[in-house]
Amino acid sequence: MRIAQIALQTLLVLLLGPLVTGFIQKLKARLQCRAGASLWQPYRDLAKLLRKGTVQSDTASPFFRAVPVLVLAAIATAATLVPVLWAPAGSAHPRLGDAILLLALFALARFLLAIGALDAGGAFGGMGASREMTVGLLVEPALMMAVFSVGVAGGTTDLVDLAARRGAVEALAWQAPDLLAFFAVLILTIAETGRIPVDNPDTHLELTMLHEGMLLEHSGPGLACIALATHTKQLVILALVAALFFPLGLSPDAAPGHVALALAAFGAKVLALAVFLAVVESSYAKLRFFRVPQFLGLGLVCAFLALALRVL
Amino acid sequence: MVWTGHLLVLAFSLVGGAGALGVLLKGAAPPLRVALPHLFPFATMSLAVDGLSAFFLLVIALVAAAAALYGPAYLDAHAKSPVVQTVSLGLFVACMAIVCCAADAMTFLLAWEGMTLASYVLVVIDMQSEENVRAGLLYLIMAHAGTAAILVAFLVLASHVSHAEAFDFTALRAAARDLDPTTRTTVFMLALAGFGAKAGVVPLHVWLPKAHPAAPSHASALMSGVMLKVAIYGILRFGFDLLLPAEGPLPASWGWTVLVIGTVSAVIGVLLALQQHELKRLLAFSSVENVGIILIGAGLAMLLCRGRGSQELATLALAAALLHALNHAAFKGLLFLGAGSVIHRTGIRNIDDLGGLARRMPWTAWLFLLGSVAIAALPPLNGFASEWMTFQALLLGGARLGGASGLLAGLAASMLALTGGLAAACFAKAFGVTFLGRTRSLQAERATESPAPMIAGMVLLGAACVGLGLAPGWALRLLDAPTAELSGIAASAVVTSQGPLVLSAGGGAEGLHATSISLTAVAAVFALLAAVAWIIRGWPRRAPSRLAPTWTCGMTPTSRFDYTGTAFAKPLRLIFAAVYRPSREIVKDVGSSPYVLRMLGYSGEVVDLAETVVYARFKRWVTVGAQTIRTYSTGRIHGYIGFVLATLVLALLLFAGARP
Repeated sequence: MRIAQIALQTLLVLLLGPLVTGFIQKLKARLQCRAGASLWQPYRDLAKLLRKGTVQSDTASPFFRAVPVLVLAAIATAATLVPVLWAPAGSAHPRLGDAILLLALFALARFLLAIGALDAGGAFGGMGASREMTVGLLVEPALMMAVFSVGVAGGTTDLVDLAARRGAVEALAWQAPDLLAFFAVLILTIAETGRIPVDNPDTHLELTMLHEGMLLEHSGPGLACIALATHTKQLVILALVAALFFPLGLSPDAAPGHVALALAAFGAKVLALAVFLAVVESSYAKLRFFRVPQFLGLGLVCAFLALALRVL
Repeated sequence: MVWTGHLLVLAFSLVGGAGALGVLLKGAAPPLRVALPHLFPFATMSLAVDGLSAFFLLVIALVAAAAALYGPAYLDAHAKSPVVQTVSLGLFVACMAIVCCAADAMTFLLAWEGMTLASYVLVVIDMQSEENVRAGLLYLIMAHAGTAAILVAFLVLASHVSHAEAFDFTALRAAARDLDPTTRTTVFMLALAGFGAKAGVVPLHVWLPKAHPAAPSHASALMSGVMLKVAIYGILRFGFDLLLPAEGPLPASWGWTVLVIGTVSAVIGVLLALQQHELKRLLAFSSVENVGIILIGAGLAMLLCRGRGSQELATLALAAALLHALNHAAFKGLLFLGAGSVIHRTGIRNIDDLGGLARRMPWTAWLFLLGSVAIAALPPLNGFASEWMTFQALLLGGARLGGASGLLAGLAASMLALTGGLAAACFAKAFGVTFLGRTRSLQAERATESPAPMIAGMVLLGAACVGLGLAPGWALRLLDAPTAELSGIAASAVVTSQGPLVLSAGGGAEGLHATSISLTAVAAVFALLAAVAWIIRGWPRRAPSRLAPTWTCGMTPTSRFDYTGTAFAKPLRLIFAAVYRPSREIVKDVGSSPYVLRMLGYSGEVVDLAETVVYARFKRWVTVGAQTIRTYSTGRIHGYIGFVLATLVLALLLFAGARP
């Protein structure tokens, strides 16, 4: 039963991921007074890439072909760990992983993508890998601190238990550390989803790319896998923020009414966060790469204060 | 001779490993004791194997077996007095085993000294290299300063014991029970400094990245993977066993000190590792990091041990530290053997001159990748399992301790997360630049796979990395005996209470509940999803698949386009410039016109702050002191005899008068 729930919600995240990207693009376009591409454009891109052939760099090792698949698998595995619709209370459900494992799976995906980029042997790939690893290692501790801060309050780092417990007991009984942690997480979400002002997902100017720089040598179905992984990762992060700070409306059982409510609540939460990303992205310019650590430092300080307030 | 020697080491480690497993799995039993011949009139010597000893014996046996498989083929190529190397390797392993089994201070110190000397021989085996000789000298000085501190710690304890059995651990333990707190803490700090020098904690680490890479690679694997653990054994033996107070918690200052130096070592170690471009030196710096992670667990366990209701958390922290010690032995051993395999085939140590080896040395490359994933604490391998436990212990322990100690635990957790990210970047660089992309030198172009015995050694350690990650229940079973001895609760009762495939952390303060993960299940889900993705990706389609050169903006692709390790680490060099103090020098050779560049030379380096700030200053003082003494050092024997006599009289006046 629980396994079916996990499989269903993972499938949901995988299917809805591109839609969220499409929505953000559309909203951005409207904010910039453009018509913008259709909401479904990311799906069309994926379908197109899946039909295409592949061109592989002649310097790449056999590992290069496996990179997109492993990256997608790591992100999809992370998607199984976050509560989307169901959060049954109690310890009956099978144990998969907690927030730490989820962040570690993101790190695994980043690691694999980075060595894939080094494999192709172009300067842009290496540059992208180097920068992405740099930003990643600055984001990771701060995000971990924010998760710990919530974890100390909820008594566990298991996201399902955390959401079930906090959702049931104190609806929106936020305390000061929650506010700080939420602020930190908002900053880090921008970095982790690769958006302005940290990274620019739309750029194709090689020197300004972080994440995209690593994808230059991937093509066809491989690129489709990575694109899907990027969409999924974005939605997983939004779901993680929702589970940590707004664990409302999650369904404790399989009753259709509860599930419909959970679906609506999930949609609303993701919508709100997506609007946030789109608005931020339309109102700021991309930061110079060596300004990014200061921007992330703000997140780190807030996250650490949030944890310190909980522990003291 | 070389083969026989290594086979002997292999047999010895297999027997030792089997024995250790036997002790560990048998559960609660009185330790095995063996009396040694009566060599000294003032001390009886004996060996005893309890749970803690057996666990560290297992660590030694694991890496020693792999090194013994790997060694002979490696020495064939590097035939600098192979017989001496084999003999010292055997002595080295034997001495480490004896240190872990020693039941009295005399045996302990003798074996400790033997371990230092045998490894010194391995470091300076290549006497032609001036650098190696200097590294060996530095190692010898640091190791002996450490030994001196340990010796004093033992002597202080022994002065409280009756003459007959002055050095026996049982007697020392009994004597330590009613020491006054100040003496107890002083003795512990002395021992910590002594063992810390051997374990390479910051700032006592300066010798480590010089000495470890100088030895032949399988000896480096033993030094980094095992010898550091023997020092950890010493810290645990002193902190949790020999110096244990009769009742009440351990002094908070111990836990604080160990936790702080652990955190600092972890961050500084990995930051410096990231900027190295010599593969073995990078691995040596990363050992400093991992010792730091082990000490974070150990320090937290000291803070929590015997606290009110926090015994389970102490066990969790201790289990995390011990498991990380075993894990680090496995993956660091694997990585050093992999690096040795690269050096064996190419003769190049600088990763910026390598590249493209994955297609030439596939086994080495994939095993190195496995080790890199494990050491970067990425799931589902063993490095993640122990880091997850450390995180949980820090989080639950921090919440339990509260106040300043809790804040320190929180800070340590954030630094540990940073360390994990830095390690991932470091090993993405180490693996990517060494094995992927184009080759950057002729030697790398011509490289071929290493011989089978060397691969076998690496496969053994690679299997350990996978097994310890995917079957944590079995791994924690091995920790039962040591944790039960040190903290009173068996590790598997705390960590794998929900089945052998589930890691769980519980036992926190009121309201804190257990968190459980199953790396096995996650690995299964990962494999399943990867299989599905692979099928979708490889679905037959009409569109062709072809090979083409990488796009380099229209220029002919050469290996100069590949990102080097130095370039990869550049952003971090700038971000952490306060730690690195980077310097660079660019030499331009322009011809007749300033716009035509004929040659461009670049050199850059980062500094180890401990070396430039602490040691350089210390060296200056020593030099000034030596210059001052020089005027009195005339070279005449009469003068020296006079000095000795004066010192003796002075000492007698000072100390003999104190006796009532």
